[in-house]
Amino acid sequence: MTRWGMVIDLKRCVSCYACMIACKQEHFLPPGVFWNRIVVVETGKYPRVRKISIPVLCNHCEAAICVKVCPTGASARREDGVVTVDSHTCEGCRYCVVACPYQQRTYLDDKSKEYFPAQGLTELEAIGGDLYPHTVGAVTKCNFCAERIDEGIKKGLKPGLDREATPACVNMCMVKARHFGDLDDPESAVSVLIRERKGHPLRPEIGSKPSVYYID
Amino acid sequence: MKPYEWMVRYTAQTDWIRGGGLLIWLSFFTGILGSGSYLVSLYFDSAVGTTVSWLIIVVLKGGLHVVDARRPLGLWRMVLRVKTSWIARGMVFTICLAFFGVAQILLAHELPGSSLETAAKAAAGVAAAAVLLYEVFTINYVGGIPLWNSALLPATLISWGIFEGLAVVGVAGSQMDGGRAAEVGNSIMLGVTALLTLLYLWNAAYAGATSKESVKKITTGGLSVMFWIGTVVIGFAASAVILLSGFASEPVGRIMLLVLEAIGCLSFTYAVFRAGLYSPLV
Repeated sequence: MTRWGMVIDLKRCVSCYACMIACKQEHFLPPGVFWNRIVVVETGKYPRVRKISIPVLCNHCEAAICVKVCPTGASARREDGVVTVDSHTCEGCRYCVVACPYQQRTYLDDKSKEYFPAQGLTELEAIGGDLYPHTVGAVTKCNFCAERIDEGIKKGLKPGLDREATPACVNMCMVKARHFGDLDDPESAVSVLIRERKGHPLRPEIGSKPSVYYID
Repeated sequence: MKPYEWMVRYTAQTDWIRGGGLLIWLSFFTGILGSGSYLVSLYFDSAVGTTVSWLIIVVLKGGLHVVDARRPLGLWRMVLRVKTSWIARGMVFTICLAFFGVAQILLAHELPGSSLETAAKAAAGVAAAAVLLYEVFTINYVGGIPLWNSALLPATLISWGIFEGLAVVGVAGSQMDGGRAAEVGNSIMLGVTALLTLLYLWNAAYAGATSKESVKKITTGGLSVMFWIGTVVIGFAASAVILLSGFASEPVGRIMLLVLEAIGCLSFTYAVFRAGLYSPLV
């Protein structure tokens, strides 16, 4: 059974934020809505201060808490492991937003904000409103670019290997810090990386079994 | 907050307390008040109490949910996931209380003392208890907020519900003894609720760094004025003065007691919702 997952190499990440921007552009996300973020932490004391950048996104957990708490079934986990939100079914109760321990969901309460206030929508924003409409009053989050994966598979492409079928953030990373593939395939690039470089999820003690791993 | 500041420090929960989230906080408050009052009114045989409580749960709390929902006509879907979702369970319990409550109120008026009325009373009582449990466990289930995930929170909130319920019966009157027993019960529940609130916050302060930060926010931080004045002074101290002075035997005193306890519960639930913090991601 396919289980899509991601591995992020923290040694390679230079916190350029390109993945965050690529995601925003790919999905025409409104201002204030982020499906991908970079958590920047400083550790140590002068003169041995170290800055750690950790790209975070929805972990598409195997035991997703958001799916359990959703009263309408809008949050659901697909057979391939991708956790999605059906904005038409979502009633906006925000229980999933509150319950997610990784805080990777956003409640969209106002779509009218523009990136350049009082200057109207940019061409990209206007196109996005038609191509990829977001539902006000519903919850939104990373979907591992499910549209790209599904379209790619229909064309016989391999997500993680073929760019057209791979999430935008993975494609955009210029230092190749992100890897995407099938976690249930022991020979996939992601599985090999996790095995050889001791990949670990973020805060495994939560128990939700994330599908996003980090290597450092 | 800048994008690079997100989840680096303790991050407050905002979705259920800011903006439209205020409606959700109020719906939790009315649910606790209404279900606690309904149970107490059933016990003390207060027809006015059960009617008012039913209105609080079904009309006020239900109305708040309808106003908050993205598509009110789609709310029926909220009964689909009773297996795992506390909100779905709560929806079912509230619908049950709506029907059994009406039946109980009507039968208490038309066929008092009949077996049918007793059955309706039992069913409505179970439904009200279930609504109260749904209210507290919906919050308690959130593991990401250590302050909410405490074992003492459900007991504390249930205690607040019963505490306020006794004040409601005090105003509404009861068939049993004109509300005197409710007054005595109120005095006892004041002590129990104050003790549980103290124990809850004390325990939360030892339950981890994030939880301790939440308690600091409530007791000495930005929420301290509201907590100490709203919950402690108005909710507990002023209520104690009214109860101990005997002023609660007067109708005005009972109304004042209800208002003071409601303010206490409002400020306590607001503090718990506002002080809910997530641990830093790394």
